Order: sequence, then structure tokens, then C-alpha cells
Amino acid sequence: MKLYVYCLVEGMDELPHSLKGIAGAAVRLLSWEKVSLVVSEFAGDAVAVTRENALAHAAVVQGLLERTTPLPFRFGALVTEEQLQNYVSAKREALQVKLEQVRGCVEMSVKIISDRDWTEEPATNIGHEKPGTAFLSEKRREILGGEARAQEAKRVAGWLEGQVREVVREIDFKPNTTSKLIVASGYLVERVRLDEFRQKVAAARQHRPELHFLVSGPWAPYSFANIDLEFKTHFGVS
Amino acid sequence: MSFEQIIVSGNSDSLEESELSLLETLDHVLNRGLVIAGEITIAVADIDLIFIGLNVMLSSVETAQEVLRNRQAKTE
Repeated sequence: MKLYVYCLVEGMDELPHSLKGIAGAAVRLLSWEKVSLVVSEFAGDAVAVTRENALAHAAVVQGLLERTTPLPFRFGALVTEEQLQNYVSAKREALQVKLEQVRGCVEMSVKIISDRDWTEEPATNIGHEKPGTAFLSEKRREILGGEARAQEAKRVAGWLEGQVREVVREIDFKPNTTSKLIVASGYLVERVRLDEFRQKVAAARQHRPELHFLVSGPWAPYSFANIDLEFKTHFGVS
Repeated sequence: MSFEQIIVSGNSDSLEESELSLLETLDHVLNRGLVIAGEITIAVADIDLIFIGLNVMLSSVETAQEVLRNRQAKTE
């Protein structure tokens, strides 16, 4: 029997009785070295990516968000108790630092979609080009369009950052250069500043009516839980 | 689960709030969070995650497909 891992929590001695995990399993708390993990038992070697399982994972994390700020694991963390204990021992300091960073905060997600077509208009002599030349011209237009979209994504993300910077603790910006979804950003916001954040985003939306906004949250800080990435960034190795 | 969700200006008629809520949840749960290296073992089952028509947040699906491809490559 393996353990399915949902999240790390601090300051909790017991879990709400109403929490049910993947496949309806009972959820329990495991604590080592001042780190507490929320887990459930799982029979099998792989967790199926189904709507039910993904929502069950999210429901456990979201259920705890009402009481504390959990540090969520990505869907699918299935380990033995020994593996989990080794992980905690190896990463204890980083995990505690990360818990401290997100304490008292939630994540708000903002996605921005632009309908604008960034591809240049075709040249006027398009019908007279040889096939090879036409192919290369089309490729060039695609590449330039992609570059223009990437620049716009950065501009929009920078503009939005300027609108909300004073009320957020951290920003996770993911530019998207391949689709209409040009910006997908996570914002780490102190709970006490959530209303301010909402107001700032609402005001920003008014300024850019040509863009489509999807604002969701509050979430557990999923986008701010990647300790391995930070280790790699700081030390150049993972 | 209760999230606030806001779609502004045009083209929101094809996006149901419940579908967006699900997509947002999948985007967070599948793409982000702590990873225990080498211990992500998931299986793509009924592919009921795919909402091609929405054309909004397909990164979740792409992640699932990537995992599937990697698993297949390892078993070949």
C-alpha cells in the first residue's frame, strides 16, 4: 500500500473529519521533523488522471485552505512511507522556508486572452511567388507573428504587474507565445489584502477592454511550491 | 469548490462557468505544486480531461499527454 500525498501544512494537529481523498480514502496527517504532510492510502502503482481524482486532490487542498495555507503537491505523488520520510529529511529546510514564504497568503490566478492576430498581412505579390519562396515567406510571417505575440505578452504582464505590485508578495509569470492565451500569472497575496488585489485587477480590466481576463482563486499556492526549480535557479543544478 | 471567476468583454458565451472552474482546477493540480522527483506515477485513463472546444487552457491536457508519451517511451 502506497501513500498519496496532497500537501504540507503547518500548525495543524488534526484534520477536518469531512475531508475525503482519492477514491474516497480517509485522509490523515503524517509528521516528521516539524513537517506535517496530508496523505491517504492508495492501492495501486499509478493514479489515473480522471476528473474525479483531480477534483478529489483539489478538494483536499482547498478544504485545508480555509484553515491554513497548505503547500500543495502536484497531482500524482505516490510514494512509500520510507520514500516520503527520505524526501522530508532531504528537503526539510527548503520546505520550511517555503512554508514561511507562503504563510498567511493565497494564490490568485489571472489569465489574459488576446484575440488579436499577430501575423503580418501577406505581401501583395503573394500569388506570384514560386512555391519555395511562398513557403519561406509564410514561415517568416509565422515567426515574426510569434515574436510580436511574445513581446505583447511581456508588455501586458509587465503592465498588470505594475497595477498590482504593491498588494502582492510574489508573482509567477508564465508568458505564452503560442496561443491566444498570452499571459498566465499567479499572484501570492496576503489574505488580508485580497480585497485590495481584487480592486486593482478590476480597475486594470477597465483599462484594457480589448483583452479577456479570467481571474480565479483563492487557491493554495500551487505556483509558488516548486522548491526544486528554485534550487536549480540558485545553484545551477537540480 | 468556490472560486471567483470573471470573464470580461466578448466571446464569453461559449465558456460555461463550471467548465472554466474545472479547467482552472486541472491547470493548477496537474501543472503546479511540489514534486517528489521520480515519484509522479499517473495514468491517463478515460481522457475525460480534454475540452478541445474551449481552446483556452489546454496545457493541462498537454501535460497529461506528455506524461503518457514518456511512459510509452519507457516501456518500448
